Amino acid sequence: MRMRFSQIMISFAITLGLLIGFEIVTSTLLPAIGWKEYRLTFNVLVILFMAIRMDSPLVPWLIMGLQIIHSIFSIEGWALGTLAGIIVMMSANYLKEILQLTTAFMTMFTVQLFQFIWYLTVTVIICLKISDFDKFGLILWSFIPGSILLSLISPVVFWLLGTIWRVPNESGPRGVEI
Amino acid sequence: MKLINESSKTKIVNNTIVAILAIYGISQKRFDLNEPTLFHQLVTEVISPVQEGLSNSKKSLSAFWENYLLIVNTSKENHVLKKQISRLESDLTTMEEVRKENLRLKRLLSYSDEMSQQRVMAQVVGWDSANEFKVIRLNKGKKNGIKVMAPVITDHGLVGYVYRVTDNFSDVLTILDQNNRVDVMVERTRTHGIVEGVFNFKCTLKYIMRNEPVEVGDKLITAGVGGIYPKGIKVGMITDITKENFGMTLNVEVIPSVDFDKLEEVLVLIPNETAVPEAPIAVQEKKI
Repeated sequence: MRMRFSQIMISFAITLGLLIGFEIVTSTLLPAIGWKEYRLTFNVLVILFMAIRMDSPLVPWLIMGLQIIHSIFSIEGWALGTLAGIIVMMSANYLKEILQLTTAFMTMFTVQLFQFIWYLTVTVIICLKISDFDKFGLILWSFIPGSILLSLISPVVFWLLGTIWRVPNESGPRGVEI
Repeated sequence: MKLINESSKTKIVNNTIVAILAIYGISQKRFDLNEPTLFHQLVTEVISPVQEGLSNSKKSLSAFWENYLLIVNTSKENHVLKKQISRLESDLTTMEEVRKENLRLKRLLSYSDEMSQQRVMAQVVGWDSANEFKVIRLNKGKKNGIKVMAPVITDHGLVGYVYRVTDNFSDVLTILDQNNRVDVMVERTRTHGIVEGVFNFKCTLKYIMRNEPVEVGDKLITAGVGGIYPKGIKVGMITDITKENFGMTLNVEVIPSVDFDKLEEVLVLIPNETAVPEAPIAVQEKKI
């Protein structure tokens, strides 16, 4: 299914709004009720949807746009997540024949797998930036609890994003061409 | 036969361009200091008031949760009475919160009275949304006199320093973050070391030689070296010391003196333009 440019822009604007809502929940609402140790990095989930479920030359630019908005809420900046997103997207492209997000369990499993690739990339880059590989294990480990929770809610978020981007459920992993 | 079609070519080109941009962005990125772009400032100024509002409504939210949602299943006869009790309890919770806030602010003010620097009191309105960074957002910015690299404290001790600032909001890199390195000394032995954030709201004290007589329970204060933090601010306490069979230094675990779990208000110290960088040690020790 192909989308018109105006449709893409509308879907992207809605996705940005959703991301801002998610970021406010993570950065303000959850810490306000005492959840401070682990973050639910919703930007990763939204970008994973883009990387896994969409098939388009525009995706890297969309990922970059999402990460620029994420950088308002995090000192992580846009570049780290953009690079991780592109690596995940390329991995997803490579594995597209075997990726079948037809059940909630498969979605959770796939999201967990790609989150691991994401966090591995991010951890390596952070360790390179701070010139300290002693913290590799600790940084990677710190992602695990949040990533499991994200995987558990991923079917709902993917369904929501699928509706926004008009990705039919039965179309398989690389559902929409834009 | 074409091995790669046009669409694939475009994808490869786009991926490469964005990846190169990202790699360049990463190479230029500093995790210890940041100058926000105009776009960043604008969006922060629009979104942060929402964070501030949500953060302020925390008390009402928790009162609502405790006093209304949990009594949904009570019988109809008691409904009116329960509602009244809930309202009264909610009022009491709010009053108690106000009383506690008053107490905290008083303590913070009396602590800061001892400081020679200008200071700005600010509220924590948000935390960094990424897992690997421990940054808090304050509801005060340039308009209140806050500058980049200004130290941030509470009456319990050091919180961190201002990493980036917009007109009305500022982000603080806390001492829990691995990118923040604080030059400290052990109060009892005057041994110097560097405190770095690690994980689980804990820090580590680095570069302490194996033969240094440091002990569990020793308190750490800022050493005043490095030009960011004034000397003598409480940083934390040593909670564990491990001696490996190899290496020249000790593995020292530190618990920050600030309880970041309950952090609500902080003081931002505005460095005096004309101030002498380091006050005499006697004065500094009196401040502690």
